[in-house]
Amino acid sequence: MQNPDAIVIGAGIVGASSALSLTNAGLKVLVIDRGAVSSGTTGAGEGNILVSDKDPGPELTLALRSRDLWFEMQEDVGDSFELEAKGGVVVARLDDGPLMKLAAEQSEHGVTTEKLNQSSLHELEPFLHPEFHSGVFYPQDAQCQPMLAAAQVIRTVIARGGAFISQAKVTRIIVENSAVAGIETTQGIFKAPIIINATGTWAGELAQMAGSDLPIAPRKGFILVTEPTGKYVFHKVYDSDYVTNVASSDADLQTSTVVEGTRSGTILIGASRERIGFDGSMNYEILRRLAAQATSLFPILRDVQLLRAYRGFRPYAPDHLPVIGEDAKVRGLWHSAGHEGAGIGLAPGSAALITDAILGRQSFMDGSPFSPHRFAKVSV
Amino acid sequence: MIIVIGAGPAGLAAAEAAARNGSDVALIDSASRLGGQYWRHRLTVSGFHSNRADELFAKVRSAQSITYISDASVWSIEREGQLIRVNYLQGGAESSLTAEKLILATGAYDRSLPFPGWDQPGSMTPGAAQALLKGHGVLAGQKVVVAGTGPFLLPVATGLAQAGANVVGLYEAHSPLRWLLSPKALLLNISKFGELIYYARLLRRYSLTPQFGRVVSRFDQGRVTISRVNSSFALKDMKSENVEADVVAVGWGFLPDLTLGGIAGCKQRVDSDGTAVFAVDANQLSSQPNIWIAGEATGIGGADLSLLEGEIAGLVASGQKVTSHLRRKRGAKQVFADALKRSYPIGDGWRSWSQKSTAICRCEEVTLGDIEESVVELGAEDSRTAKLFTRAGMGLCQGRVCSRNVAEIVAGLTKCSVTDEERIASSNRPIAAPIALGLLGDGKK
Amino acid sequence: MSEMVSFTFNGTDVKCEQGQSIAAAVINTGTLALRTTRFGEEPRSIFCGIGICFDCVVVIDGVANQRSCLIAAKPGMKVESSS
Repeated sequence: MQNPDAIVIGAGIVGASSALSLTNAGLKVLVIDRGAVSSGTTGAGEGNILVSDKDPGPELTLALRSRDLWFEMQEDVGDSFELEAKGGVVVARLDDGPLMKLAAEQSEHGVTTEKLNQSSLHELEPFLHPEFHSGVFYPQDAQCQPMLAAAQVIRTVIARGGAFISQAKVTRIIVENSAVAGIETTQGIFKAPIIINATGTWAGELAQMAGSDLPIAPRKGFILVTEPTGKYVFHKVYDSDYVTNVASSDADLQTSTVVEGTRSGTILIGASRERIGFDGSMNYEILRRLAAQATSLFPILRDVQLLRAYRGFRPYAPDHLPVIGEDAKVRGLWHSAGHEGAGIGLAPGSAALITDAILGRQSFMDGSPFSPHRFAKVSV
Repeated sequence: MIIVIGAGPAGLAAAEAAARNGSDVALIDSASRLGGQYWRHRLTVSGFHSNRADELFAKVRSAQSITYISDASVWSIEREGQLIRVNYLQGGAESSLTAEKLILATGAYDRSLPFPGWDQPGSMTPGAAQALLKGHGVLAGQKVVVAGTGPFLLPVATGLAQAGANVVGLYEAHSPLRWLLSPKALLLNISKFGELIYYARLLRRYSLTPQFGRVVSRFDQGRVTISRVNSSFALKDMKSENVEADVVAVGWGFLPDLTLGGIAGCKQRVDSDGTAVFAVDANQLSSQPNIWIAGEATGIGGADLSLLEGEIAGLVASGQKVTSHLRRKRGAKQVFADALKRSYPIGDGWRSWSQKSTAICRCEEVTLGDIEESVVELGAEDSRTAKLFTRAGMGLCQGRVCSRNVAEIVAGLTKCSVTDEERIASSNRPIAAPIALGLLGDGKK
Repeated sequence: MSEMVSFTFNGTDVKCEQGQSIAAAVINTGTLALRTTRFGEEPRSIFCGIGICFDCVVVIDGVANQRSCLIAAKPGMKVESSS
């Protein structure tokens, strides 16, 4: 494609959504990826679209809007990625105080919550261990198949005049007078005044190529996949530890319990978080811990077999907020990265924010908490 | 101590060789009886040179320093400092063994190619027909067609006939003249002529006439369609004949199961026939310290070669010397194995046998049409993406049956070749055998 | 002469010799189909016979996805087709 209006680097869900949003706003968009569609973290997640795990604040505001945009995106590109408003059930293991407090705060900020007691909890999840007596239902939590979604979105971008080049590794970002002019890749040179860095866990590396920086690091996670089994889990179910873990910066391993069923009949189990760089090696002790947690929630899973496990690297910034906005040093270089474990859910919302910012129009929220400028602290 | 995983020819030879000098060996295998696939038996091993098997069984059973653990499925391997821990499932419980040294001899399984009806009851691999017969004394069906390629079809067809099956057809896809390409291999392995004569006699006794250049192109409720193919396995013409059979046993050589070696971090390479195998040195040592690999996992080569590789691995692992005589014998068998690969290659014309509705991934019921759609409509350009889009390879067998076929179909559709990385990555599975979540969790520290 | 083992397959009695696999025992009675697939409900039987393909999986005493080609029949086992 000659002279695109914008180049999106990264064909995961964030890049794909950004490309679609820009295309729908009338721009000619070229998407490139060093691999194939969804070859990064998008291909290693569960497809979570959650509002339940977010504290009131800018990320929750983004998540709420983004969740609704997912359903609009489905209307736009077609119902082909198993989008489902499944609903989430968060259970409190011992003291339900913190969970209830969070739910109360969330409901004041646009989240639909429903308190659950012993009987209503077990009505929603009959196979949950009887010792759980309290929880919260979040009907807005949803689910999709993210790889299919990204693929379908990219196809739509192409159908609307955009282009996609896979196996194109960026070797240089061309910067002239502190502004981007284009990129050099293994598949050619492409000029554009707007470049979107949607490379997720590798966004920091890409920023460096432009002479800038972005403190995005990998946070490793494992997911267990069971054999196809009976329907034992009806919503996304997790214990309230999930919330605390997401926001923590501990270097050590952290695990929380996340269990959900899928359309194909398998059950997915998470979640672990490790700051271990890009070490992709298997860790059977973590798998054991996740299994033990899942069976403590759903004893019936004890007899269900683990079939496979996979890992991915969530991209995170030190303050655990995504990075959405124009680079602090290089004009025309826009970042939409660092969504940590919420990339799927936050993708269309981030796309809307960045499109509005690029076109200079008011957006649905103030995006400054996500701005890359927040890292550009003057060091003395 | 040395742990040997796999009690087929390679594993048995390794265990026996290691125990010769007094090494303690734990021989662990998933079946109930010794012998792996090549030496299946209920009471006695039959077939050519079966006394060799009996000898090894006797030696292994009587050796004081060999502990034989049967009915054990190894699901993972971990390193603990200098030690190697092998985790396995047996009798509904999880156990583990640790040792300083490991020999992997996990063997191979039949390679399958899809065709309309290959997923119907009655359609199976020659290995399955063999296993039922030799391992359990059961004839899979009354009228049997044996087809595919390679010398393994001979013992299967004759074994079935000896057991009373009506083998109504024996179809080899290749021309018999292919062996003329490898005169050196035949000269170095004169004993193979004896084997050929043994099977030729049996074929004659049971009036079995192999037909060449033919494949089973369709199986439907007891009706087998036989079609002619060219040397690339593409259907040659519209002419076909129909044969009635309730069982069609079709095999296309073998594929090694690389799962355990992959978990242990052993480096792989792609063999001359496009099969991903483990890279080992002249002493069968893998890329991982103290882990040796012997048998089919280093390259498909048959029982003779497996025995020699196993013996060498066992000797080296237990600190014994390997004679140059032994190395030469292995070399001769390697030449034969290479000739086998040259003589029975799998032509890519097989892709033309399937229809859109033919299942390619049996576990997840993903059809050729689904895969084509993932490439044409969704833009999948490589097999990994096609698998993520369609779920091919994500079912119970974790791609052991379909992975290579999916990769080659996608390559054909995108007019690219399957890369070595793809071939190697397809066998990357962190869980080697399914393990109940309860057992898994109970084992946490 | 081996001891005989008795078990049920989908409610029907099956007798086999000790040591025979469930799949072998069922096939020996003349029934090839061991289960039906979960999406297309297509019948499946033994395919690889050695525990690689998982096509022969059945439910044994309530536990699903057990490879009938590998597991020896035990007296009183309740074996059912997976769905």
